[in-house]
Amino acid sequence: MSLDIDSHIRHSTRHIGMPAPRREDRGPLTGRGRYVADIKIAGMLEVVFVRSVEAHARIISIDTSQASALEGVTAVFTGADLADVGAFPDYIEYIGPVEQRPLAEDKVRYVGAPYAVVVAVDRYTAEDAAALVAAGTVYEPLPTVADLDQALAPAAPRLYEHWESNCSFDVSPHKPEVDRAFDEADHAFTETYVSQRQTGLPLETRGVVADVADGTLTVWSSTQSPHMVRTTVASMLGVAEPQVRVLHPAIGGGFGTKTHIYPEDVVVPWVARRLDRPVRWIEDRLENLVASVHARDQRHDVEVAYDDDGTIRAVRCASMLDMGSGEIFMPGSAPVFVTNACITGGYDFPNMAARTVGVVTNKTPSGAYRGFGIPEGAFVMERIIDRVSRLTGTDRVESRRRMLLRPGQTPYVMHGGGRLDSGSHTESFERAVEMVEPALRLAEARYADDPDVRVGVGYCNYVEPTAPSYHLTTGHWGGGDAATVRVDPDGSVRVAAGVSAFGQGVETAAAQIAADALGVEPRDVTVVLGDTERTPYGLGSWGSRATMMLAGSVLLASQRLMDKARRIAAHMLEAAESDIVLTDGVFHVDGSGRPSVSWAEVGTAAWVRNVDLPDTMEAGLEASGYYHPENLQHQLDDEGRINAAASWSNGAHAGVLSVRVSTGEIKIEDYIVVHDCGTVINPALVEGQIHGGVAQGLAGAMYEHFQYDSDTANPRFASFMEYLAPTCAEVPPLSVEHFESPAPEQPLGVKGCGEGGTVGPPAVVAGAVSDALSEWGVDLTECPVTPVAVRAALRAAAAAAAAREKGGVA
Amino acid sequence: MTTSEPTSETDVEVTVNGRRHRHRAPSRLLLSDYIRDTVGLTGTHVGCEHGYCGACTVLVDGDAVRSCLMLAAQVSGAEIRTVEDLAPAGSDSLSPMQQAFHDNYALQCGFCTAGFLMTLESVDPSRYETPEQVVELLSGNLCRCTGYHNIVAAVTEAWNLSRRRGGSDYG
Amino acid sequence: MKPAEFDYCRPSTVAEAVTVLADVESARVLAGGQSLIPAMNFRLTDVSVLVDIGGVEGLDAVACDPEGVTVGATATQTRVLDDDAIAAVIPGLRAALRHVGHLQIRNRGTVCGSLAHADPAAELPALAVACDAVLAVSGPGGDRRIRAADFFSGPFWTTLEDGELITAVRFAAPPAAAMTVVDEISRRAGDFAVAGLVAVLEAGDREMRSARLVGFGLGGAPTRLKEAEAVFVGWAADHPTDVIAEAVVADTADAFDDIHATGWYRREAVAALAVRAARRALNAREDA
Repeated sequence: MSLDIDSHIRHSTRHIGMPAPRREDRGPLTGRGRYVADIKIAGMLEVVFVRSVEAHARIISIDTSQASALEGVTAVFTGADLADVGAFPDYIEYIGPVEQRPLAEDKVRYVGAPYAVVVAVDRYTAEDAAALVAAGTVYEPLPTVADLDQALAPAAPRLYEHWESNCSFDVSPHKPEVDRAFDEADHAFTETYVSQRQTGLPLETRGVVADVADGTLTVWSSTQSPHMVRTTVASMLGVAEPQVRVLHPAIGGGFGTKTHIYPEDVVVPWVARRLDRPVRWIEDRLENLVASVHARDQRHDVEVAYDDDGTIRAVRCASMLDMGSGEIFMPGSAPVFVTNACITGGYDFPNMAARTVGVVTNKTPSGAYRGFGIPEGAFVMERIIDRVSRLTGTDRVESRRRMLLRPGQTPYVMHGGGRLDSGSHTESFERAVEMVEPALRLAEARYADDPDVRVGVGYCNYVEPTAPSYHLTTGHWGGGDAATVRVDPDGSVRVAAGVSAFGQGVETAAAQIAADALGVEPRDVTVVLGDTERTPYGLGSWGSRATMMLAGSVLLASQRLMDKARRIAAHMLEAAESDIVLTDGVFHVDGSGRPSVSWAEVGTAAWVRNVDLPDTMEAGLEASGYYHPENLQHQLDDEGRINAAASWSNGAHAGVLSVRVSTGEIKIEDYIVVHDCGTVINPALVEGQIHGGVAQGLAGAMYEHFQYDSDTANPRFASFMEYLAPTCAEVPPLSVEHFESPAPEQPLGVKGCGEGGTVGPPAVVAGAVSDALSEWGVDLTECPVTPVAVRAALRAAAAAAAAREKGGVA
Repeated sequence: MTTSEPTSETDVEVTVNGRRHRHRAPSRLLLSDYIRDTVGLTGTHVGCEHGYCGACTVLVDGDAVRSCLMLAAQVSGAEIRTVEDLAPAGSDSLSPMQQAFHDNYALQCGFCTAGFLMTLESVDPSRYETPEQVVELLSGNLCRCTGYHNIVAAVTEAWNLSRRRGGSDYG
Repeated sequence: MKPAEFDYCRPSTVAEAVTVLADVESARVLAGGQSLIPAMNFRLTDVSVLVDIGGVEGLDAVACDPEGVTVGATATQTRVLDDDAIAAVIPGLRAALRHVGHLQIRNRGTVCGSLAHADPAAELPALAVACDAVLAVSGPGGDRRIRAADFFSGPFWTTLEDGELITAVRFAAPPAAAMTVVDEISRRAGDFAVAGLVAVLEAGDREMRSARLVGFGLGGAPTRLKEAEAVFVGWAADHPTDVIAEAVVADTADAFDDIHATGWYRREAVAALAVRAARRALNAREDA
């Protein structure tokens, strides 16, 4: 490990690894937490966006006169008013440029696209006015494309006339060894796997409040990345960055959807400047379902070569991402690259040729959502393993055992260049199997007398990239992050960092890290996040990166502070610096408890009683650290390979499910997670991430599906009655166990844990239901696995059996 | 308070957390907006405005209701309680249920928390014997962060359910 | 998601309410509001005046006697669900209400409001048909009574006329020996049914003596399953289940496709629920 706790600290209690209580709780528990929608500024006006009701259309005219005349309406703006703002940059050269304007001007490409704003005294009035603008809009509807096949058809209507087709990118690796394996293998099959469209659905929708005062444009945004919002807003509005302050109060969940920089992030500040009034926009749920990014929506056309003994020789996989209209910054292209990078998981399986394709359609832009492509790939790989096992009569556990990386096999470079630095791939799986077997027997016994019920088991092994490159995703930013650590005259510690918090417990973890890094107690540490004015430039929280970035940047800064503090203490104690150690918050000469100086005395010397400092020493006790993970790459090498993550967590999920054959009803009898995210800072917080991640994974496996009408590309709904976020009655209790394989090259050995929980459930549920219904040959290839899907699979199996009988084939 | 004359504004007289309020409000004002914007208590959160997520749950005359599915005009004469009323007044301490949520890591982003706490506040704990009943009770509140596991664990602890029924899967 | 402008009144008598409802176009009754207000928040429903009947004295009355239960227009679902005396007379009411929404919805939602809303996937309309409920209605032309079987005319569509207000519903108690089963498949706890069945069944020692079956969640008004009812009489646990399933499938030919399920699934699922109900009734008889 490159960075660790300073060896001169002799703390009797370590805080890293302990379930420290959360410091974020009091506000929400007592109703005093403050979210964007709770911000009130005198004179503040309400902004409402007018959104396209057409999936694909030219805007012929917008009559705003009736809306403008409504009492209580201050202003109505359309895209033409924002001409000077320009478009969001298209930084990534290999994907189709969308030249996204904050408000659509000539053309709309999905239902929900914003094309006008209304500013009024309150939201009720603003919505009245927005309805009038909508009624005054004349469209020329264009033919739509609602899915990959429609978009790629030869005569398909094009979303972007200057493109040659609706294909945004298409990247193929050169893998002659895969072709050779296909030639040599005993058998091959083709299949298509689908991961359906979902959305992150934080319970708090997005929101932006903007105000200009004393020459500063202040923007409160429910963003996961305030510094990136500042850079973008400042450049698009033509304001110097120091004159823009972006901050977020408490955030009610993000799950990736709030990593993007949305039109509203730019338009709301623009309105505040234009009107010189504080303004606020709070997304409502109707908007959230169509105007915040969607995700997943990938199709995988695979060819699998295998041998009679169950060995999978090679896989060709075309991973096709439906990007929606593509009008989102940063673009939504990255998840499908992650899918292909991670598809082979913790398996020793180099013979993968994964083609990566992105296609635009007339749907809400897709983008980031917890899992970020990993679940889609794991689903494909695990379903392939189950299929080959079934075709060759191989035990499904044995199939996985043969391929999983064994202890000592790391570091291991995956087919696309990802470098698994460490991990407990075999150990985690074996433990999950050990745990699931009694659960399976119990469930079988439970239903032994019910002829309508079948029981099955499903498995998923996966890897979870930690702290990935943001260059690949944005074409602009990098992958490091910063923290500033200060010890004040009273000895208390202030940590300010560029990562953000939106429920994960980042502040609690930051205080634990800083406490150990400076030999103090967490209660002595104040943590400041989410404010460009008060924190150093950072990229925010996403990609399971916050804890590692904190660990690296806080340790770097603390190291520098400790060096200086020990010099000060040595001077004050008239001892050699090399002899000074810190025990329970007190500096002294190693081996003797007295005399000593406290952090407060050192802090006072540094800031106040400068006479106590060595002659040549600069005053102050503050240091910054900018951490960029070792081995994190941002660009492809000559062979098109890249290790785009700082480290790799891993995990194994296993679940036992029962299926009621007559109705297709599914019940999760037991769900097991064995997880390894390296050194754990706070086990309670990690468990919370896993619980929440698995719940969202199960949502994708069994419930949530954002559906569009194939003829009109209109969303088939816009409410929680149809987008089936699970309640507590749908999420079973979980059994969670941990392994700890520290990241060898990263600070403290930490790895991330934000995404992992979402990865396993689709593969586990589809695997278990297919296992339960194996006597009919059911082998599911897509999610969500619903009662209707189960019955449909059984009907298809029965029809196939009947056809076989009729055809005289045994 | 009744009137048969339809009007676009309505007098609203309510007690919120023990304090009386009197406003002339637009008839269409939702109770959730009345509590948050007119009274100024923002601990009640708005998550969907169509009565599914439960984040806006408050007590009206002791019953848990979705405040986005009521009009301010409808609650005239009623007594309303919100999350701000749960912790003992004038001290730093939390109510036993709030404390159990904290101790069990039962909140992450906290946006749904007020709704869960108010739902729990509205019922008689002695009617609940098992975690399964708690699950049924709480199925009208969405949480997107915790997977519900620790919420059920917190209620199980606060209401001593495991002692009553000898163990549970939530722990 | 804020409602468009409307006027609001809170009359104190049924007559006052009916006057406004009859006089003003697009006037709507506000009882529990648990379906109406979401529709207004989505601006899907055009409402000029909202007539809040919450202030009408006596409309929240609930009366229970051995022959049946009368539920007033503003009596909430929770009020009825928690009443042990009601559950003793009409067990189906409690069984149905347990499937309705969640606690917060039931605390405001009314039994009569659910009937007036006539959601094809709702439990209470199906129960009303199964229990031969009678709705008491007041309107500009006076009072009238409507049998549940004549009340539901289609999805979200009833024979209630403009200006009319349901004041109460009377559920008749099923035969003493009957068992009422309310069973459904819903995607999540508390969701409307993808497929549902209310069955009022009298089981003999070995075989079914009588059956009244109402399917719901099929897209239209709650449907009496007449062929299945005929098959049920005389059916015994050792008889093949196919006959029940085939009859139900024949009875439910109009089942519709929507985002949650296909028509064929709904028909198969109601058939499975019917088999489940028959077995339950016969087993209960065996256990007794």
